[in-house]
Amino acid sequence: MIKKLLIANRGEIVTRVMRACRDLGIKTVVVYSDADKNMFYLKQADEAYNIGPANPVKSYLNIGSIINAVKESGADAVHPGYGFLSENASFAEAVYGCGATWVGPPTSVLNSIDSKCFCRSIATEAGVPVVPGTINTIEGVDDIYRFTAEHGYPIVLKLDKGGGGKGIELVKEEGQVKEAFERISRIGMLAFGHPECYIEKEIINPRHIEIQFLADGLGGCVCLGERECSIQRRYQKIIEESPSPVVTGEERKKLFEYTRKLALAMGYQGAGTMEYLRSEDGNFYFMEVNARLQVEHPVTEFLTGIDIVQRQLTIASGQGLEIGQEDVEMKGHAIEARVYAEDPVTFCPSPGTIKKLDFPEMDEGALRIDHALEEGGTVPPYYDPLLAKVIAWGPTRLKAIDQLKRGLTDFKIEGIKTTIPVNLLILGSERFAKGDLNTGFIEALFTKARGDVKPLWPNM
Amino acid sequence: MEITVKAHMPGLVARVVVNEGDKVTAGQEVAVINCMKTEIQVFAESDGVVKSILVKEWDEMEIGSPMIILEA
Repeated sequence: MIKKLLIANRGEIVTRVMRACRDLGIKTVVVYSDADKNMFYLKQADEAYNIGPANPVKSYLNIGSIINAVKESGADAVHPGYGFLSENASFAEAVYGCGATWVGPPTSVLNSIDSKCFCRSIATEAGVPVVPGTINTIEGVDDIYRFTAEHGYPIVLKLDKGGGGKGIELVKEEGQVKEAFERISRIGMLAFGHPECYIEKEIINPRHIEIQFLADGLGGCVCLGERECSIQRRYQKIIEESPSPVVTGEERKKLFEYTRKLALAMGYQGAGTMEYLRSEDGNFYFMEVNARLQVEHPVTEFLTGIDIVQRQLTIASGQGLEIGQEDVEMKGHAIEARVYAEDPVTFCPSPGTIKKLDFPEMDEGALRIDHALEEGGTVPPYYDPLLAKVIAWGPTRLKAIDQLKRGLTDFKIEGIKTTIPVNLLILGSERFAKGDLNTGFIEALFTKARGDVKPLWPNM
Repeated sequence: MEITVKAHMPGLVARVVVNEGDKVTAGQEVAVINCMKTEIQVFAESDGVVKSILVKEWDEMEIGSPMIILEA
């Protein structure tokens, strides 16, 4: 079993992983940039190492600096959290290189999922449907004209090695093809060093459904239910819930089967998520693998009672799952709201100092807040705006929503602006209560609520 | 008269989009600050010529940090 774990991340996920370590009796090592030198969790960890200046490229994305901390601390494992280097194969290899264990899927998985087309071909071979389009990257605009002659518009051009909402071009008609192809190739080259792209048919108003799974690398693989994450803005999730109000028992079984097939075909080991799109006519398409712990994992923990982070640590230590699919119970309904440090009207970032902090009354198993906040603490402008996650459970969807509303209403953060009012607006809307969700939800809701207030971000 | 273009948001300089000697007009984008992973444009407040650029990519900005000096 792992004895001393280095957590190569910052903010709420550090406190989350530390909690699992306490439960399992594992010593903790944290790392921090100059901007995070006063974070309270540095004192709670067994050891803390400075890894560089505020600029994430020089600290949290600096492999050399983090590896030095691994060596100096003698940590025998590294948990990468999410974001930063969490899916970086070179980092995983460097961790193995100094004799430590990587808490995540093998580097072979990290290397292959880098290419969306490679994932599309694995899925197709495994009999799992992907969004209709080309399986391989395209050579030029002629390939696009050939595709649309048969399948029509609108189409989406996507970078084979893109990510983070970058490198997606919607093409509505023939007149836009040339410009879109040139733009995506340019962005691909500049942002990722890879200009190659492929074609997908546009799925109109899809729902985002993902399956959380655990694979032990010894042949064991269980699915821990789905999460619906259709409430998004700028490809960033805001509300996640499980079960999805739309997925039927039959569909869930099919998605579990797809997920298990894909995980085994990839040689996956650890916790992961397969993302699917559901079209308005009820078809599911595999989209991508998230080869890491996800921000929204607590939703699944509330629903199943399984501690995903503890499972990551035991799997990385070489232990088998020791549970089968029939042992996974999904009870009631769980829902999470992400609280961002942003102006609730303009969505403009709002870093600063937290002057006052009040938490709602917690309820073990029914209300939980994952965060790394304290009164007097700073929210630096250099990193992700995620401040906290409020997670609620209820025996029914509506009761879970009520519990979440209570949690958000009694969660008071002063000194910076937060998106709590946005969360409450979404949760209080009739459309949300009915479960009528899709990825265009926020835009539709805000056009109505905002009236003539001009959004700062044209695409929100 | 010299006019200093200052950061109106904290964060990291993502890029400067003008060069020394460039003529700029009021409201023109002169730099971009990355604040919490969102790119925020910085505009020239008045017409002028770029006299000197005080920042480079990845520099840490606070509200009011001087970025560019214009000769109006």
